[in-house]
Amino acid sequence: MKQLRNIWLLTVKDLKLFASDRGALFFAILFPILFIVLFNYMMTGVMGEDTRLEINIATQEPAGGISYQLLAAMETKDDATLKPGEPKIIWLKDYEQAKQDVENKKLSGFIAFPKDFSEAVMIGYGTSLEVIFNPNNTQATAALEGVAQSIASELGAAQVVNDAVISLLVEKDLLSPGTAGDLGQSIRALLTRQATTSDVMITFSTQTAGEVKAENPANFVVPGYLVMFVFFTAAFSASQLVKERQNHTLERILSSSANRNAVLGGVFCGTAAKSLIQITIFWAVGILVFKMDMGVSPLAVILISILMIMVSSAFGVMLATMVKTERSASSIGVITSLILAPLGGCWWPLFITPKWMQFIAKITPHAWATNGFNKLLVFGSDFDSVVPEMLVLLGFAIVFGLIAILRFKTDAE
Amino acid sequence: MGEAFLAVKDIYKSFNGQKAVNGVSFTIDKGEIFGLLGPNGAGKTTVIRILSTVLAADTGDATVGGYSLRKNPAEVRDLVGVCPQDLALYEDLSALDNLIFFGQLEGLNGREAKAQAMSHLALMGLTERAKGKISKFSGGMKRRINLAIALMGNSKLLFLDEPTVGIDPQSRNNIFETIRGLRDKGMTILYTTHYMEEANRLCDRIAIMDGGKFVAMDTPQGLKRQIGDPDKVTLEDIFLKLTGRSLRD
Repeated sequence: MKQLRNIWLLTVKDLKLFASDRGALFFAILFPILFIVLFNYMMTGVMGEDTRLEINIATQEPAGGISYQLLAAMETKDDATLKPGEPKIIWLKDYEQAKQDVENKKLSGFIAFPKDFSEAVMIGYGTSLEVIFNPNNTQATAALEGVAQSIASELGAAQVVNDAVISLLVEKDLLSPGTAGDLGQSIRALLTRQATTSDVMITFSTQTAGEVKAENPANFVVPGYLVMFVFFTAAFSASQLVKERQNHTLERILSSSANRNAVLGGVFCGTAAKSLIQITIFWAVGILVFKMDMGVSPLAVILISILMIMVSSAFGVMLATMVKTERSASSIGVITSLILAPLGGCWWPLFITPKWMQFIAKITPHAWATNGFNKLLVFGSDFDSVVPEMLVLLGFAIVFGLIAILRFKTDAE
Repeated sequence: MGEAFLAVKDIYKSFNGQKAVNGVSFTIDKGEIFGLLGPNGAGKTTVIRILSTVLAADTGDATVGGYSLRKNPAEVRDLVGVCPQDLALYEDLSALDNLIFFGQLEGLNGREAKAQAMSHLALMGLTERAKGKISKFSGGMKRRINLAIALMGNSKLLFLDEPTVGIDPQSRNNIFETIRGLRDKGMTILYTTHYMEEANRLCDRIAIMDGGKFVAMDTPQGLKRQIGDPDKVTLEDIFLKLTGRSLRD
């Protein structure tokens, strides 16, 4: 009981020192938040942003043809009026230049109205839309073909209606076969005029299958930098114990009622308390500012956070027992943090890295922590799926803690 | 001879094969100020570290108030207060916070620790600076706080390891008066110093240590008498005679 009280006193003392050190507060809390804001901004769009499909259309007809009227009606004049998922229609004024651009891979492809488009529509003998594309860009090609078919079927439908009406009038003796051709041309001209003055020559419908939305980059960025900076702070806490040894306060503490285990426990709990404050602030900023979603199991997120605090604190204490000077503690803290963070997937998602890198990452606690957070916050996994990560983190905490206990016993001598 | 509050018997301690303490035995009576003199590296601080349970002796034992260092280290720690040679303070905390923290580690509750801290600050003439950060204090003020921390708790035996190094005469005088006042209240004190005059003024008995051993132990007058007329001989004379004139690291 006495030693538990001593652990508490040592923890409170560490927190007082932390609170009185403006530099430490900046690097432990404000600096990471600035980092998170910056990288969250940079990562916006990298992870699943909804890029709008662009459909390029040109015409080979001379000016004044029907295709000009159609293109004028179809062209997107204001991007702001586009609905989500609706493609942007771009009118390419120079057919030859557009063709050249496709050849030079500056353009993925385009649809072109033929030279005789107006004549073919007016007379009704039929024509073809040309789709010119870069064969390597299959997505754009498919989209262009789809749009070309839509245009063809719209015009084809108008042709069918026209022919059906004229046939019906002839059949009912309301129109003589001799004048049917003239009437057909007049109706076609009327329908075409109607089509070219309408805004809905071709309509696009967008359907969402399931709940698909752009990934919030904060769901990856916040946990990654949270893991990195919690380890960073813990590694720096190692220098606190070294400082205590150098300025003889450790000796003074050891000559009081606090025994070695209480001192070790106090350093561990002091570091853990600082990490807890950090994590609480990071999660609060993530949820309130970046609208992070805690996934289907917030409990698992909390448990992984706590385990990470334990691992990083034990790592900090272990480091403290291995170094002799404050400078070496700080240097090793910086070096280990800067190596383990990218290796462990704090700077970029591990799932986008090569297999060999993912394999090496497994030697770091960072990788297990970020992997657990990614599973929960990016892929929507449940509690059970992150149990292996939790167990490995617990294992790291035990190993680091045991090394610290064994080394501190002999080190104090 | 009074009642021995501290009894040290045949303590040995080596570091990397080099003997730092080489068979030291002595006793200090209750309410006595015992001076431990010696050149640099003589082993004085190692003796204090062993007696305050920070270091374990290779062989030998000591009792403090009847409790064995080896068998009852926790009880020994409750009885001793240490003022280390170096300033063992948290520079970023206030004087009051330093005193309260170490007082609580000595077993005082929050209220007791604060009351005792204020009392010790008054004793050291630092009441006005109670809430000031240690980093803003002068060397003399830090020394006084270093001593005040050693007084926190219910210690019966004080180890004062060169408590007056590098301070002005006023601060030194304040510390002397405090130490005498403590002795008058029955505190037992082990005092190490390089200042012979200090030892002469303060200590009831003095041991001179060199190479990890005691080379002499007596009252200041008794030591001086060993080489001549105590009114003409100084402690420095006997110190140099016993420990030599060669420079030490």
